[in-house]
Amino acid sequence: MEIPVIRDVLEESNALAKENRAAFDRHGVFVVNIMSSPGSGKTTLLQKTIPILKARGISCAVIEGDVSSTLDSERLAPLGIPVIQANTEPFGGDCHLGSHMVQAALKYLDLPSIEILFIENIGNLVCPAEFYLGENRKVMMLSLTEGEDKPTKYPLMFRECQVCLLSKMDLAPHLDINLDLLESNIQKVNSAMRILPISAKTGEGLMAWLDWLVNER
Amino acid sequence: MHELYIAECIVKSVNSSLPRNVAPTLVTQVRVQVGQLDAVVPETLKFSFDAIKQSCGMPRAELLIKEIAVRCRCRDCAHEFGIDLPVFICPACNRGDVEVLQGRGITLTRIIADEPEGETHGNTSYS
Repeated sequence: MEIPVIRDVLEESNALAKENRAAFDRHGVFVVNIMSSPGSGKTTLLQKTIPILKARGISCAVIEGDVSSTLDSERLAPLGIPVIQANTEPFGGDCHLGSHMVQAALKYLDLPSIEILFIENIGNLVCPAEFYLGENRKVMMLSLTEGEDKPTKYPLMFRECQVCLLSKMDLAPHLDINLDLLESNIQKVNSAMRILPISAKTGEGLMAWLDWLVNER
Repeated sequence: MHELYIAECIVKSVNSSLPRNVAPTLVTQVRVQVGQLDAVVPETLKFSFDAIKQSCGMPRAELLIKEIAVRCRCRDCAHEFGIDLPVFICPACNRGDVEVLQGRGITLTRIIADEPEGETHGNTSYS
């Protein structure tokens, strides 16, 4: 027998993401899903961003995604904000955060007291782009050392995100990277993408990033 | 390697799409369409599905994957076009405000299963 169906395979995952979003909206939480390759600077960005937001009276929290270890949440602990470590190892070692994992993490967060929730996804330029978690905005980070060709090689990530933070700008003088080519490659994949050059080390571009965050909220 | 997670999602979708009288063990074929933009490797998805199908109660199910090419529509001039490379620029007006019409998403399209026992001829055997 043939059973014809037209069904989105990620239907269940998306339904959970919508539940997450409804909870965020109910409590006025603005949620940013930050994605990138491993080591491009997501945790460092949060270490620099959150103290400034705190100083402006904006309360933040982080869901910290990793396959294993609590190293990143330990780095964020001194910020004195709620940080929930979500490890995928008990869920089969997935290479991305799923909406079910975000939902599990929400049990440990007091949403009414949070204004901006950052979801630091697992370092991976492919898989996390596929899955909606219930976030308001998807932001990606690309460090200059990764090269100009990444938009062409990983188009889904560049299509899905609204902002690309070009990180480690302080390294530009030491690298052969062609920034014009990189920007043009990004625009070929996503002409609407906002490109924000940034260096967490020198502080370059941090204010533009913070302005974007505050305006979008 | 999100193919394993997607394979699990396919199994869940199949299970919840089966009529009540059709057990998962009767499923012989599962067809899905995968958009080329999804960065899913068909061989890896098939491998993942084969690795879990026994423990998920559908040991005879074969996964057939059809890749769907990316098609776009320009929001400026309404021109529709297909792309082979990830360059989302309208070939007619050279602008980049482009909507993806197809080639994104994973869809379960058909399940083939053996007839439940005793129902092939429309009656139930009590022997």
